[in-house]
Amino acid sequence: MISDGILKTSVLTGTLEGHSIISPRGAKLKRQVAADLILTALIDAFSILVIFLLMNFSSTGEILMIGKNQELPKARLAETLERNPVIKVDEGKIFVEDKIVDAKSITSELLEIRKKYQELHPNEAFPGVATIQADRRVKYDFLNQIILGMNQAGYSDIKFAVVLK
Amino acid sequence: MKHSKKHLDFEVNLIPFIDLLSVSICFLLITAVWLNVGSMNVKQAVGGQAQEDTKKSPLVWIRMNDKGDLDLEVQQSSLVPSALRKFRIPQVDKKVNFEGLEKALASLKQSEPALNTGLIQPHGLTAYEEIIDVMDRLKKNGMTDLGVSPL
Repeated sequence: MISDGILKTSVLTGTLEGHSIISPRGAKLKRQVAADLILTALIDAFSILVIFLLMNFSSTGEILMIGKNQELPKARLAETLERNPVIKVDEGKIFVEDKIVDAKSITSELLEIRKKYQELHPNEAFPGVATIQADRRVKYDFLNQIILGMNQAGYSDIKFAVVLK
Repeated sequence: MKHSKKHLDFEVNLIPFIDLLSVSICFLLITAVWLNVGSMNVKQAVGGQAQEDTKKSPLVWIRMNDKGDLDLEVQQSSLVPSALRKFRIPQVDKKVNFEGLEKALASLKQSEPALNTGLIQPHGLTAYEEIIDVMDRLKKNGMTDLGVSPL
């Protein structure tokens, strides 16, 4: 059909030739082994994925290590979590920065952290902030000993770790 | 005149671009945190602060009992009507009536716009999530200064 005239030169030697799957040259209908992919759609999809992932990127989750059996309580109006000493309640045990403590030793452990902070920042006032990470089903009776320990060690700002609804 | 045979259309090499996008996607997928963690901030009174130094502002006490009832008491406010100064929100199906609490807090805030402090006194058997839910309701009604009383 395109054997004569301007079409022959424009179609067969132009850019369209490179994109055709079946080689139009010759009567043997030789199939080309390599077929060109349309990459524009792929790049579009990749770009959208990258933008979506960048928008959802959050670094706050790295602050807490949430165990398999631990479920944090949910809240709608929570604030951004910051890096502070973490007091974790996991399976009936209390951990201060991954060091296991009990109701009696929690105050001394928190005082130790306070002392270290004051050594590192001699000209700054101690902020007295700590994060409590506990399972949603924990009773207040248990949390009370942590709050009392924090009070005794001079930690006035308590941050309860929650999952945003 | 000699015609130039140079092609006007040229192809951009897309392979490095695709490589870059693939690496970015892999990195972001691996490092992505799907759980959004936040914090509920509570200020506790620590010894050493004189009582005269503390500013007398309107506050609401929420006392939680073991059955799920909530006892509300407004202090240091003259604008709140006497019927709303001290009242109880009874439990519903042995659970805390959060809808009732929300309505009560909204009406308190309406009658006393300066009410920004909420203090919670839980029972020993109160679940942690219930305390957080009460805090969430307080925040929703503009009470951002929160406190939890130790047992």
